[in-house]
Amino acid sequence: MAYHAKKCGIRFQPPAIVLIYKEQAKEKDRQRIMPVRNFSKFSDCIRAAEQLKNNPRHKQFLERVSLQQLEKLCAVLKGHLQGQNLTESLQKIQQETVLDHDEDLNKLDDKELKKRKSLMDKLFEKNCKKKDDPEFVYDIEVEFPQAAQQESCGWDDGSDIEF
Amino acid sequence: MAGDGHMVPELDQEKYDADENVKIICLGDSAVGKSKLMERFLVDGFRPQQLSTFALTLYKYTTTVDGKTILVDFWDTAGQERFQSMHASYYHKAHACIMVFDVQRKITYKNLNTWYQELREYRPEIPCIVVANKIDADLKVTQKNFNFAKKLNLPFYFVSAADGTNVVKLFTDAINLAVSYKQNSQDFMDQVMQELENFELEKKVEEEEEDISDKEEYDNHLAKPHTA
Repeated sequence: MAYHAKKCGIRFQPPAIVLIYKEQAKEKDRQRIMPVRNFSKFSDCIRAAEQLKNNPRHKQFLERVSLQQLEKLCAVLKGHLQGQNLTESLQKIQQETVLDHDEDLNKLDDKELKKRKSLMDKLFEKNCKKKDDPEFVYDIEVEFPQAAQQESCGWDDGSDIEF
Repeated sequence: MAGDGHMVPELDQEKYDADENVKIICLGDSAVGKSKLMERFLVDGFRPQQLSTFALTLYKYTTTVDGKTILVDFWDTAGQERFQSMHASYYHKAHACIMVFDVQRKITYKNLNTWYQELREYRPEIPCIVVANKIDADLKVTQKNFNFAKKLNLPFYFVSAADGTNVVKLFTDAINLAVSYKQNSQDFMDQVMQELENFELEKKVEEEEEDISDKEEYDNHLAKPHTA
């Protein structure tokens, strides 16, 4: 069944996910409102997103909406229930979903480090060739000629390497 | 002292003196991908041994070098790197080192300095390979010039644990370097360290002897086994 999701947003009161979609072979865009039930400022956004995605009534409409997007929308809702304004909520989500490359991960505790690692794992999984993949090649050698390495990485400043 | 390795009872490090055993250690900051690299190299053959008391993971690997069977132990950190320093037993008897940074994070490159200094404190001569991991994130980095390895005249590899680029090459080369270090090195510092250890042992025994002879009879003193 082809429902083409075009936009997905959130309504705060009463809490609901709003989906604008197009049905195959039909002209008009349609709107579907899916209530987010039993959601409080203490709720787990991942679970709420999963529940929506697996809900038999909404499932087919949400097929092309990623779990991450639903999770993010739930996080905005949660922020609202905690009294944050939209800018604050979005900032917080940004911090939690985007890796700060300047952060010293050696200084984090286990829980925080795990969070950062799971963000990194997303990229890893995306680029990962698994061993059961038909295209998997065990030994891949690529030469990166030094002659082509003209530009400095910008991380050497000469003075700090004392050897 | 490098000799602290003896204090760890479950870890038999004596075996690394045998010809067919080599020990290769991994160094680098948290989350640079050390374990991911190990896992990519060993693919299905990996059965890591977690030694959580020592914040350490061991990976065993068997291969042949010049027709001889070689048993490799790869030592990987398990959180201990957070203190930007490893226990002396981690370095003890290592034959090669794989030092990793994340091309997306400058701080992990900067910290190579600290890692290298500590490595050289314990193992002044062993081969050390510098590894730029996660090049799949942005292949453009492979056109850039990273001076750290060049300055120290160390081998340098661009790799990706995710897509596998140069991972097998890295580990095969590391094993070869470890084996040839073991066979050929007249490691002066190793000998010096050995001498120092012996020297300290002797000194300890002497001190003990003095202590005893102060308090006890000469006969007793002779009966005391000379161990430290």
